[in-house]
Amino acid sequence: MKLIILLCSFFAASLAQGPTLVLLDNQVIKETHSIFFKSLQDRGYTLTFKIADDASLVLSRYGEYLYKNLIIFAPSVEEFGGSLNVDAITQFVDDGGNVLVAGSSETGDVLRELASECGFEVDEEGAFVIDHHGFSVDDNGQHTKLVVSSDNLIDAPVIVGPKKGVAPLLYQGTGILTDVENPLVLPLLTADSTAYSFNPDQPIKEYPHAVGRDTVLIAGIQARNNARVVFSGSLSFFSDEFFTSSVERAQGGLSAKKSGNEDVSTAVTQWVFKEHGQLRVRSVKHHKEGEKDAPNDYTIMENVVYTIEIDILEKGQWKPFTATDVQLEFVRIDPFVRTTLKRKPAGQYEARFTIPDVYGVYQFKVDYDRVGYTRLFSTTQVSVRPLQHTQYERFITSAYPYYTGAFSMMIGVFIFSFVFLHLKEDEKKPKGD
Amino acid sequence: MAQITAVLQKFYNEYRSKTSKKLKVIDAYLFYILLTGIIQFVYCLLVGTFPFNSFLSGFISTVSCFVLAVCLRLQVNPENKMQFSGISPERGFADFIFAHVVLHLVVMNFIG
Repeated sequence: MKLIILLCSFFAASLAQGPTLVLLDNQVIKETHSIFFKSLQDRGYTLTFKIADDASLVLSRYGEYLYKNLIIFAPSVEEFGGSLNVDAITQFVDDGGNVLVAGSSETGDVLRELASECGFEVDEEGAFVIDHHGFSVDDNGQHTKLVVSSDNLIDAPVIVGPKKGVAPLLYQGTGILTDVENPLVLPLLTADSTAYSFNPDQPIKEYPHAVGRDTVLIAGIQARNNARVVFSGSLSFFSDEFFTSSVERAQGGLSAKKSGNEDVSTAVTQWVFKEHGQLRVRSVKHHKEGEKDAPNDYTIMENVVYTIEIDILEKGQWKPFTATDVQLEFVRIDPFVRTTLKRKPAGQYEARFTIPDVYGVYQFKVDYDRVGYTRLFSTTQVSVRPLQHTQYERFITSAYPYYTGAFSMMIGVFIFSFVFLHLKEDEKKPKGD
Repeated sequence: MAQITAVLQKFYNEYRSKTSKKLKVIDAYLFYILLTGIIQFVYCLLVGTFPFNSFLSGFISTVSCFVLAVCLRLQVNPENKMQFSGISPERGFADFIFAHVVLHLVVMNFIG
């Protein structure tokens, strides 16, 4: 059995999309979410299904990770089996692994802890997102099965796909609070302004933790190492039932024959598992205007040409990236030049500028950080030297009086010495007399 | 007014009669340097500081020539003999020339 697993993981590693570990509460979830898993498998992922408290769970062996991605569809798990725990998962993220987590109103402690490591906070146990205006027609009376307009998706097509034309989404689960001070957290889907998160079975005696648009339904984070984590408050968001059923809001006209859940979950998984929004720098070149190769050093006030090629991963292949807002900075502690790079027809970005009249050690810096894309950061260090002694302008017309002055001082001292020395003899004569 | 003219008159007469010829030559040289320096400064005020290094070297050249000439005058003056007892006038003049060589080398380097 172990040998088969090893072989499986070996073959999986050779596949393009990378091996993925799926942790489930029970085997039933595999059936109730079959469309979701099927679409992943169709896109080339090798899924390894495990029960979340399986004693043989391991993420890495001999310092190598067995999986590139981790899906946790086990909301109620209280403790993972084997060597898996929150520390191991955060370490996995720190080492570049991607994680997709789905909770529910019964989210277990271990997932809460994992969420708080990523900058989210899951509402208390038993809490549902409730919306008395935006519930579905087939709601059970507690107004927890919500119909959410696709307008509530984050404004980033690279993460959630095109917002226009996406059918309303079905959602049933708990609410998430995001850390407003964490700049990396992205609210992928928020609730309507009439929603709040509370236990529907209890009378509301205190202010709910999450109210209105602050109630995040699906939250994402792109860590500083570009690892991605998505936390959904609803496991049923990804279920076959929600994927295929029609949607209709009990009040207000939102309705569609098929919910937008499948489209959005496909887009979100493509983002979280790094099929979308992956950028890289292919090459960086810089040289003086009119030359071809990078010089050892630049001189002040020279014209310089900087070229950078940026690639985006599309369907497993690196292709030239198109954008109009890539900027270049020429930095010596502070940026001295900041300019927008122009895209050439061949696909590279180019900037031409004059080096400032200040010498020192500079960096060409491209720092492209946009929502949903991997952070692109490229620096190239160059030294800028002052003019050489032979490069200064000579014989400036307006400086001729100074030249004359200096030379007249030389001639002056020459003539003066003659006169002075001869006078000495003259004076000696009367003394001698 | 009349007193001032009288004072100046006396000063001029004393200078003519008591100052040695050598010192008078040095004074004429000093006056020439002073004029050159003033002309350069006025020219800089009129034209602007563009070749600033040229202006600096030209102007500083006159200032240092002036200083060196004053030093020479102090050493040559017979009234200061007590202070320069160990130094002969010839030695003083040699120092003066040596300082000028250094000065003009620096000025030519800096004038651009």
